[in-house]
Order: sequence, then C-alpha cells, then structure tokens
Amino acid sequence: MRLRRLLARWVGLIAVGTRQTASRATATAKQRVWFSVLGVAVVIALLITVTGLGIGLATGATVADDDLDYWIVPETESPDSPLVATDDPQFGSVHETNTQIRQKEGVEGSTPVLSQVHQIEANGTTEFVLINGVINSPELDRVSGLDTDLLASNDPYYTADDWTGELVLSQSAAETLSVSAGDSVTVAGNSSFTVTAIDDHSRASGGVPSALLQLSEFQAVTGAGADDQADQFVVRADSPGVDEELAEIYPQSSVNTRGEMMASDTEDSELSLSLALTAFVVSLSIGTLFVVTTSGLKIVTDRQQLTVLSAMGVSVRSQLQLVGTQTLVMTAIGGVIGSIGGLLGIRAVNAVAVRTLTAEPIAVSHPLFVGYGVGVALLMGLLSLPILLAVARRVSGGVPQ
Amino acid sequence: MANSHGQTSTPSAVVSASDVRKVYTQGSNPGRIARALGRSPPPTISAVDTVSLAVSQEEIVGLAGPSGSGKSTLLHILAGLEHPTEGTVTFQGTELAALSRRGRTRHRLEHIGIVFQHFHLLNSLSARANVALPLVELGVGKRQRRQRATDLLERVGLGDRITHRPGELSGGERQRVAIARALVTDPALVVADEPTGELDTDTGRTILQEFQRVAENRAVVLASHDRETLDICDRLLRLRDGSIADRTSRGEITG
Repeated sequence: MRLRRLLARWVGLIAVGTRQTASRATATAKQRVWFSVLGVAVVIALLITVTGLGIGLATGATVADDDLDYWIVPETESPDSPLVATDDPQFGSVHETNTQIRQKEGVEGSTPVLSQVHQIEANGTTEFVLINGVINSPELDRVSGLDTDLLASNDPYYTADDWTGELVLSQSAAETLSVSAGDSVTVAGNSSFTVTAIDDHSRASGGVPSALLQLSEFQAVTGAGADDQADQFVVRADSPGVDEELAEIYPQSSVNTRGEMMASDTEDSELSLSLALTAFVVSLSIGTLFVVTTSGLKIVTDRQQLTVLSAMGVSVRSQLQLVGTQTLVMTAIGGVIGSIGGLLGIRAVNAVAVRTLTAEPIAVSHPLFVGYGVGVALLMGLLSLPILLAVARRVSGGVPQ
Repeated sequence: MANSHGQTSTPSAVVSASDVRKVYTQGSNPGRIARALGRSPPPTISAVDTVSLAVSQEEIVGLAGPSGSGKSTLLHILAGLEHPTEGTVTFQGTELAALSRRGRTRHRLEHIGIVFQHFHLLNSLSARANVALPLVELGVGKRQRRQRATDLLERVGLGDRITHRPGELSGGERQRVAIARALVTDPALVVADEPTGELDTDTGRTILQEFQRVAENRAVVLASHDRETLDICDRLLRLRDGSIADRTSRGEITG
C-alpha cells in the first residue's frame, strides 16, 4: 500500500512537471522555455555535426569506396592496407575462381580487382592514377568509388578475345587530365584506351584520381595476364555467413567484412576520435553551464511558486522532483530538436564541401545520432541537477506574499 | 485548561493558540567583534503580542483590524506556516513546535487548507490539475485525483471550467479554484487571508457563501477588514498593534 502511494506520487509529480513544461512551452512562458530549449538544441546540433564530420573523416576511405560486403585478400604480414598495398602476394586464375564464387549460394555478384598506380597520358598531360581492373556484372555497384556498370559486362577480352579499350575515369582524374568521354588516353606509356565515361558521382576517397579497366585488358597492360592474377576479390552477398565459404577458396587468404574494414579504419583514426571526443566534452560543458544558468534563473524568478507549494504541504523533496522533471524534459526536447538540426547541419556541411572542396561528402549521418544527441542533452540535465536542486532548496519555504 | 487570557483550549478545539508572540528582527544580530565595537542589536517589531484563541469545529472566526495589526501573521501561525517566537500552538492535541520542518509541511498537507488573497494558483496547470496537486503529494491515484478535483470544482460551480488555466478564468473563478484546492484534502482547518480582497461585491458574496458551506464540518479562520466578509463569522477578534483589542460574538457582529 505504501509502495503504491509512493509510486502514485512519483508518477503524479513527473506528470505534473511534464505538463507544466509543455504548458509553459506552448502558452504561459513560451519565450523563456524556447530560449532554454534552443540553447540546448544549438549545442547538440553542433555536437552532432562535428561528430558526423569526425566519423566521416575516420571512415571516409571505406564508406566512400564500395557498397560491397566482403573482401577476400591474401594473408600478409605487411602493415599496409590490403586495399592499397601493391607488393603483396596475388591470387592466380582469378577469372575461373570468380565464376566459382558467383555460383555460391548467397552471393549476388563478385569481381577480382587488380589495383595498380600507373601514369595516364592525355593531351600532353601525365598523371598518376589508381587503376582498378574489374569484371563487371549487373549485381555489382561500385569498386573504388567508380560505377562498374560503365564497363561492358563479363570482361569480353577474356571471354571472347574482344578488346574493348574501355576506360572509366573519376571526375577528379578527368579534370586533372583535361579529358572528356570519347578522348583517347595512353596507359602505362604504351597502351591506348578510350575514355568511355566519366563518373560524375564517383565517391573515390579524398578525390584520388582513379580509373576502371576491364580486368583482362589491364592484366595485358601490366603483365599480370600470364597467371591471370589479381590482388583481391570483392563480393556482394545477400546472406550472412558467406564468409566461411569464401575463406575456403584460397588457403592463404582472409575474408574481411564491411564492419571489420570500417572498424579497422575507425580505430586507426585517432584524430577523428579526438575530434568527436573534444566535441562531446566541450558541448557537455557549455550545455551544462547553459542549463544551470537559464534554469537557475527560472527557479529564482519562480520562487513564489515553490513557496506556494511549500505552504500547501508539498515537501521539499517533491518540489525538487518537479524541478528535476522540468529540467530533464526541457533538455530532452532540446536534444531532439538539436539532433535533427545536427543531421541537417551535416547535410549542409556536405553540400558546401561538395560544391567547394571535395568530390564527395565528408561527414556521415546516421539515425542513431538522434539517440546520441538526446542522451547527451539528458546528461547535461543530470549534471545540472545538483546545482539546480541546491538553488531550489534555498529559495523554497517561507510565506507566499 | 485555562490560560492567562481566560481562553480555554478545550478538547473539541481544532486549533488553539496560547500566549503567542511573534517578533521580527530587522537585520541580523551583530557578531562578537561587532558587539565589541559597540554595534547595538537590530530593532525588533512585535507583529503578534500575547494572543490566545481557540477555534472549534463548524466555527468561523474572523480576524479584523487595520493593515499591520498582525492578522496575517496570526493566520500564518495558526496554519503552521510560521513559528511563534513565544507561546504554543496546538492542533487537535498536537503541539506544532514539536514537529520537524518536514513534519509541519506534512501537517499542512493533511490538516490545513489555505486560501490566499492573490489565489497563488500555478498558471501552467489547468484548474483541475491545480486542485488535484495536494493529492499528488498524498500519493492518491490518478483516477481518484481527477474525480475528487472534478467533484469539488463542480461543487464551487466551475464544472465547465476544469480544463481552463488560471489565466483563462476571472478573479472570482480563480478564488473558487483556490477554495476547491484548499478543500481537496478534506482539512480540519481552513484559513483564508483577505479571501474577497480582489473580488467585486457580487463575486465576493458568492465566495462568502462558499465559505459558509465549507464551515459545515470544519473550522474556518478568515482574516479581513471587509465588513461583509466579517459578517459571516461566528466570532470576531479585532487586533490592534498585534494584540486582541476586542472580541465579538455572532449576535454582537450582526447586531
């Protein structure tokens, strides 16, 4: 019985505190409440935007790369990323193996990738470009940020001895070389290719100039065709657990999932982590000081209300619970608005960046950021509570005037 | 049990005050160094000076007198809002001085209904939520709270105003909400400070009828200098400079 009364009192006070805040925000003290809410919202919006930037920087290389689910790479002791290391062991007979991979259950599409940096010459301009030789299939999307569908399917030179001479360039590579679709370029000093397309939407990380070629044609240029070599396989799958089967294809290979690649990149990016952490600490400090100031002033201004509650017989503990509820409701509203504002801020940052600085978005947004923002806002409220409760306790009591 | 003024604290008295004094100090007392330097103690004001009275159930007692005569202070002492400097206040056999601060707050919640001159409703809550607020503190369930508050608002003629906030109500309506709030815990004593002070004549009369109904099963103490308000009292105490200058019974008031 006593527990039930205690619970009823708790729930009742929370309901009263929530209703009071809602009523003030919509009718009786709009300006004051919204000023406090917007203060929290601005801080949270900045936090979310900076966090999005930090994570974007940390994961940019992978996120911008591919929509693929698995990478099969040779096992290596090299400290370099398998995505860029060129002196590592390579896979052989990759066309045959790729056919086997595509036949596995759960695999939607796959391609071997031969990655090398070579000079491309056009119109008297020479530029080092990261070139990837791939086998296009409709199920694949992008490799190294470039759309594979811009190449003819199934590597015609390998299957039908039909040399296509196709080359797809990233926007940044095309701009550097001053070429457009239909122009001829020379790859590695001796082979002529035709620019069949420039991928305007290329998402190659950091604006690195890159290009796509048919795998067998690139092997012919580089001399990797003798053993049908490639550096890695990228695989798109629609069911989990495919990695175990993929690992069996080459005895000395490892299969990385997208999550592993992202985690690895994130761990490596201490700068980005520091950025996000600094944003968290600064936002929390500024936000807490703001909440303490605005809510503290509100309590002092409304002290008559606490005096009346005290005169009616409402205990100091219950008054503090009302103050606490109102503070947390206010910060939570600020957190929700701020999080949404932060996501819009990330969009704005990306829009500005793409127009002025980079070829691709630099900040990442995720629905979980809303939860993060609300959580930090509530933490601001919780950290403010001891001071606010001390102020409330001090002004409570006495006789209403 | 008779005191020096001949007032009797009978067992049936809801609240009784015995030789109550309330002295306010203007400023703080000097410390040791200040005293050594010759600073004199701050001046004091005696707001209530050796007052005794007892209020029984179903009795309306009026406190009259000019501004500054000590009406409001005596009212606050009876309600347990202020401590007397000297003397004792007993509520249904319990001496209020024996209660802790928390105990006195609880005592007000359970036994005292207070109606303020300026209503002091919470502007951000509806009339019903204002009335139900003391029940929240008592741990009464939501359904019961709403029902009790609605019943009381209907009783004071505000059944169609339960969802209105104080800012949307007239002065008389707000005072009736305040009365309903004072009654919601079914207190044994209701105290009201200038209950018609901010109301027009007609609304004031309605409010006074409400107080007469309120007094049917509880004690009521009203502080006012409005003649019409004091006319509803069974007994009238006239205060002057903190002391009782005159006591008048009902027959004498209306006569």
